[in-house]
Amino acid sequence: MQTLRVVCYLNQFFGQLGGEEKAGVGPDVVPGAVGAARAVQQALGDAGTVVATVRCGDNYVAERDATAIAELVSLVTAQRPDLLVAGPAFQAGRYGVACGALCAAVQTQLGVPAVSGMHEENPGVDLYRRQVYIAQTGGDTARMLDEVRRIVGLGLKLARKEPIGSPAAEGYFARGLTHNVLTESNAAQRATAMLLAKLAGAPVTSEVPLPTFAPVPAPARVQDMRRATIALVTDGGLVPRGNPDGIEALAATRYGAYEIAGLTELDPTQYDNVHRGYDTTYVKQDPHRLVPVDVARELEQAGAVGKLHEVVYSTTGVATTLAHSQRMGREIAAKLKAAGVNGVILTST
Amino acid sequence: MRLTLQWSQVNAVRAGAVTRLVGQDLEVNLEELQALGEADPRLQRVRLDLAHPGESCRIGRVFDVMAPRAKLDGGEDFPGVLGALARAGSGRTVALANVAVVVTDQQLQSTGTLALIDMAGPGAALTEFARTHNVVLSAWPGAGTGRSEYLAAIRLAGLKAAVYLARAAGDRPPDHVEVLDLPAPTRVPPAAQHLPRVAYVFQIHSHQRPTGVDEGILYGDPIRRMLPTLVHPNEVLDGAVMRGFMGRNATTYAIQNHPIIRALYAQHGQTLWFVGVVLTVAQATEPERVRSASMAAGLVAEVLGADGAVFTKIGGGAPHVDMAQAAAQCEALGVKTTLIVEDMSTDGSSEGMLLFNFPGLDALVNVGSSQEVLTLPAVARVLGADDLAPTIQGEVSTSYTGLCGAIEQTGASRLVALIQ
Amino acid sequence: MTPVAVMVGANRIVPAAGIIHPMGNAELAPAEEKALRRRIVERALQALQADVAQPTVFKAP
Repeated sequence: MQTLRVVCYLNQFFGQLGGEEKAGVGPDVVPGAVGAARAVQQALGDAGTVVATVRCGDNYVAERDATAIAELVSLVTAQRPDLLVAGPAFQAGRYGVACGALCAAVQTQLGVPAVSGMHEENPGVDLYRRQVYIAQTGGDTARMLDEVRRIVGLGLKLARKEPIGSPAAEGYFARGLTHNVLTESNAAQRATAMLLAKLAGAPVTSEVPLPTFAPVPAPARVQDMRRATIALVTDGGLVPRGNPDGIEALAATRYGAYEIAGLTELDPTQYDNVHRGYDTTYVKQDPHRLVPVDVARELEQAGAVGKLHEVVYSTTGVATTLAHSQRMGREIAAKLKAAGVNGVILTST
Repeated sequence: MRLTLQWSQVNAVRAGAVTRLVGQDLEVNLEELQALGEADPRLQRVRLDLAHPGESCRIGRVFDVMAPRAKLDGGEDFPGVLGALARAGSGRTVALANVAVVVTDQQLQSTGTLALIDMAGPGAALTEFARTHNVVLSAWPGAGTGRSEYLAAIRLAGLKAAVYLARAAGDRPPDHVEVLDLPAPTRVPPAAQHLPRVAYVFQIHSHQRPTGVDEGILYGDPIRRMLPTLVHPNEVLDGAVMRGFMGRNATTYAIQNHPIIRALYAQHGQTLWFVGVVLTVAQATEPERVRSASMAAGLVAEVLGADGAVFTKIGGGAPHVDMAQAAAQCEALGVKTTLIVEDMSTDGSSEGMLLFNFPGLDALVNVGSSQEVLTLPAVARVLGADDLAPTIQGEVSTSYTGLCGAIEQTGASRLVALIQ
Repeated sequence: MTPVAVMVGANRIVPAAGIIHPMGNAELAPAEEKALRRRIVERALQALQADVAQPTVFKAP
C-alpha cells in the first residue's frame, strides 16, 4: 500500500512554540513531525509520513478568522498531502474551532480528506461535526496516544476511501447525516419485529429519532410594558424592495435588519416578500398583515409600550434547517439584547 | 377468506411461437401480446422487449411494475379495472415467480419523475426488479389521447399483459402452493385468544394530487372522498388495490406481494393474530385529516379491537403527518404502533428526517433517503426509453427515488437511511 | 402551526389570523382589519407580561 503524505496542524502549545503568551503567533510550517505530531507519526507507522507540521497561534486564527484559515490552507496545499490531521484539541476552544475550520476548508478547497479530534464540549464540535469527521477525545492529554491512534485510524480510512462505520464503532461525533445502506431484511419485516417487541414491552430502537427539542427556559415576564422596548421580528419573508440582502426564498441562511425609525407605517411599495411557503399576495398588499408596525407605533405613542425598537429582523422560514434557524435566532437575540430590547413579537407564517 | 396462490417458477423468458410454460421456461408470443395491447384505441403502437437479470441493460421511463397473476375458476382479474366487479381474495390464483411486467410511459416530456431499472451492476443490487425477468411494455398514445386517458390505457395494458402471461401456466401442477387463510377478526379460536391482535393501516393514496376519473385504486374506484374503511388482507393481495398513477417509491407489484401483509401472515397464529387491514388516504386539508385520523383510529381500536398496528404511507411529506396523526390517536387509545417512514430531510441532516413529533411514536422504521444520489455505470443497451438513450446509456447520476424498486413505501425494499 | 411552536419550545404563543395573513384579514374592511391586528398585538403584549413556565398558548377570549 502506498505511503500517504500526511500534514499535521497544531496550535502554539502542541507545536512547542510556547504557551498562552505565544497565542498571537502567526502561521509557520516545519518539515516532518514536531511536538504532538510525533504521536501522529507513531500511530501512522509505515502507512504514512508526516511530511510537515503546520502551526499557528490560537488567537491569530480566532482574530483573523477566514484570512488566517486561507493562509493555513496555502501552507497545507504546498505540501501536497493525502491527509490532514488537525489537533487533537481536547477542550481548547479556539484551537478546536481552528482545527474544524481548517479541516473543512482543506476538504472543500483541496478535496483532501481531513480529520480532527476534540472533547465533546469543545465548541468546534457543534460548529464542524457535520462537515468534518471529529473523533471524540477526553478533556486532556491523559490518553492522547490512544486517542491519536483512533484519529489516525479514521484518517487512514478516509484517505483510502474505505467505508466508515457508525459513530459508536469508530469513535467520532455523529454527524447527524443520513446515508442509505442495504440491509438484510426489508422494512416490513423490521416493522413487524419492532411492533412485536413493543407489544412485549421490550425496548425498541427506532430507526428515526423523534426530533427532540430541549425545553427553553421561559424568560421572565416584562415587568412594566410602559417602559419596555419591544421589537418586531418575522420569519414570513418580508424584505425591502429588491431584497438587498439576498435573503433566500427557501432554506434561508441569512436574515435582514430593517430600519423603521420614524416610520408610523410600512409603505407596501417599498417592500417585497420572498417566502415560497405560502401565498404572499396579502402580505405584499399590506405588509402590516405580517409586521404590525402601524399598530405597534400607535401603542407606543399612546404610552402602552415604552418604545418600539427601530429595527425589524426578518428571514424566510420555509425548509430552513434547524441548524440555521437556531443560529439565526441566537444572533438576532444577541443583537436585540445588546440594544436593550425587553420583549419580542415574532410573527410566523 | 381463503386464497390459494398457485406458484410456477420461471427461470427463463424468451420469445416463442406460442405462449406457454415449458418446464420453467416461459415462451411468449410477443406479436399476440402486442396485438392485445394495440386493441385499445387510446394506444397506437405497443412494443415489447425482454430484459433478463444480469444483462447490461437499463430500462428507462418506468411508470409501474405488475406481477403476473390470473384467476382460475372464472374469478375476475383486477376487478373494477380489468375484470368485472367481484370480491377479490378467495379461490385460486395462478402466479408466476421471477417475472414482472414493466410498463413505461412514452408520453411524458419531462422525465424527472420516471424511474430506471438496471438489470446488472450497482443499481441492480438495490431493486427486486433486477432479479425478475422483465417483459417491458412500451406504448405510444393514439391521436388525441390526453394524459389521464393515456395513463389509464398503459396501466390497463400492463394488467392485461400480467394476466396473459400468468395464464401460460394454466391449471398445470404448480411448483409451490401458498394458502392464505384468515377468518374474520371476530372468530378467534380459544387457543389463540392470548395472542396480540395486530392490524395494518394502509394509506393507499395521497390527495396532494387528486386522482383522475379513470384512475381506479380500490376495486376501480378513484377514492376521491374516501373515508377510512376495512378490507380483508387477501383482497389487497388479489388485485383489489392498485397503485395510483403518481405513486412515487411505490409499485403495483409490491402491493400484489404486499410485504406487511406477508410479514403479518407469517406470524399469524404464532406471535400475533392478524385482524385486518384499514385503508386510508392522506387528505389535503386539516379538517379532513383530523376526521380521517379519528375514524382510522376508531376502526383499529374499537372495531378491530387491535392491540397493535403497523402503518405505511404513500406520497410525500404531508402524508407522514396524516399517518402520524392516525397513529397518535391509536396510541392514545392504547394501541401500540409502528410506522414506516421515509427520510424527508433536504439537507441530509437527521433532524430534518421527520415532519412530526407526537408522543408514543417511538417505533419508526425508515425506507431510506430519496434525495441521496448515486452514480450508475454505462450499460450496453437501453429499453423503454429510446429518446433518452443518448443520455442514460452512459454513466448516470440519479437519486434513489429514480431507481424503481429501491425504495418501496410499503416496506418491500431493504434500503435504510442510517444516521452517521 | 401552533403545534409546531409548542413542539420547538416557544413559551409564549399567540394564535394569529391565518398563515397567509397572520396579522390581518383581507376580507375585512380596513378599519376592522386594523382593529383585529390591534387585538392580536395587545394579546401578544399580555403574553409578554404573563408568567409562564412552559409553552403556553394565549388564545382569544
